[in-house]
Amino acid sequence: MIKNLFATLGIVLACAAAHAAELRVAVKDHKGRNVADAVVLAVAVDARNAQHFHPPPDAVDQVDKQFVPFVKPIFVGSTVRFPNSDNIRHQVYSFSAAKKFELPLYAGTNAPPVVFDKPGVVVLGCNIHDWMIGYIYVAETPFFAKTGPLGTVSLSDLPAGEYTVRIWHPSMDRAEETTSRRITVSAEAPMSAEWQIALKPSVRVPRVSGAGSPSYP
Amino acid sequence: MARTSIEWWLRFAFAYVCTHTQAHDATWVPPWVAPRLHNADMRPICASLSAFLVFCAACHTARSDWTLATSAALTHDDNVGNARDHASVVGDSSAAASASLLQLISIADGFSLSAGGDLSGQMHERLSGLNTASVDGVLSLKKKWGVGAFAPWTRAGISVGRGDYADRYRDATLYRASMEAGKRLDERWNFWAKYAFERRRAEPVEYGVYGMSSDVFSEQGRSFNAGVEYQLSGRTSLRLGSLLRHGDVVSTTQPGSFVYAYAKAVAPDPTFGPGAYAYRLEGTTFGARLGVDYSLTAHNLIGYGFQRLETHAQGGNNYTDSLSDLTWIYRF
Repeated sequence: MIKNLFATLGIVLACAAAHAAELRVAVKDHKGRNVADAVVLAVAVDARNAQHFHPPPDAVDQVDKQFVPFVKPIFVGSTVRFPNSDNIRHQVYSFSAAKKFELPLYAGTNAPPVVFDKPGVVVLGCNIHDWMIGYIYVAETPFFAKTGPLGTVSLSDLPAGEYTVRIWHPSMDRAEETTSRRITVSAEAPMSAEWQIALKPSVRVPRVSGAGSPSYP
Repeated sequence: MARTSIEWWLRFAFAYVCTHTQAHDATWVPPWVAPRLHNADMRPICASLSAFLVFCAACHTARSDWTLATSAALTHDDNVGNARDHASVVGDSSAAASASLLQLISIADGFSLSAGGDLSGQMHERLSGLNTASVDGVLSLKKKWGVGAFAPWTRAGISVGRGDYADRYRDATLYRASMEAGKRLDERWNFWAKYAFERRRAEPVEYGVYGMSSDVFSEQGRSFNAGVEYQLSGRTSLRLGSLLRHGDVVSTTQPGSFVYAYAKAVAPDPTFGPGAYAYRLEGTTFGARLGVDYSLTAHNLIGYGFQRLETHAQGGNNYTDSLSDLTWIYRF
């Protein structure tokens, strides 16, 4: 009985591995420079390829009065913790429609985790340190990743098939839907694609103000 | 210049330590090291720094936010003495450096308390008698009326400082109380306003003018500032500010009956040369300031500012003053 169960499981895993495909994506801006922190999302056209899985708990840290990482993609329904690695207190909040929450002043790692149950962009802030900003992208698909410093990312273990792939970045000057493309991936060879997106200048609340300005604190 | 500056700071630091560790014996401080720092002068400094240290010790167990900032500035003032007559107008450039340490304690419901102090020094190119070492202690309470970077805020603060000049008759203790309010509209626009009352207390000058008060460097005044900051890009911001001040002003000029008749106090002011006299008058100052800042990194910036001041003092003793400065600020 147990022998049969293992055999069946082995066949299933082998089949799954045999049908896993890879999508390699490069994201550049309108000047041809690599774009880091761009979220790449692949939504399966065939609903049978949309896997159901329980996302592991995730975390967004606070280091040197900054959110780390700056952009965090997660799967809808994920639980995110907000540990505070600074030796001061932070007050994390979000006014975004996808998730409104506020964690009262806290230090250390004991802040209650937050469940992100709606897809969309969540902008994080700290009520004490106004320049702190971070983004959580709550994806409706389990197939997503974020570009690194070289502007590239690889979505591996995709079930072979057709996907609608799109890009999101905090400074993108158009709606992410305008970046959508249909891409078919197969298990035979990795598929490569490149996006060029226009970024608007990033204007943020400054950490240091000039002479005469009312600066922090 | 750099060597002189370092030497000057070392002398100040050494003199400061000497004065505090051997407070019972003022003669212990070698006069070649600190000809101007005496125990009597240092009392307010001792008191404010001691209070600050006690405050810090009390806060040590709590989670609080230390902010250390340093700045350096080159300034040119085209009318240092606030003189009306062209012949008495003296322009000078100066270099200044400061280090400040502030501790922020976040209290519930948007309240935060900050306390700290700063140590600063300024050296003039020509008027060396105006070279200053000063120390300030600051305490303020801030209320943020809501959550988020765009919530309006108000702040009330008090500060006490001591300025120690190369020409000792200018030494003074500065008391200041202020109320501030501000609001950031979005990532680009930031507005604020500030009302302050300040009082400068100095010793009367030893050799005054017969029949007149010689307490010329003790002043008080009220000021109102308003400013707006515009973030031009990710690194560059523009600042525009205005000033309205009413109160005492000190004008140093050659003796004249015109200014003498309206002066509250008069005293010789050899800092500006033999024959120069300082007059304390009552006046109103209007000012405008324009500045541009460029962030080098998230922690530091360089800025250029230009300020134009126009003062209308009693008896038609009006004068103008233009200041331009190049500033570097680093916040840890």
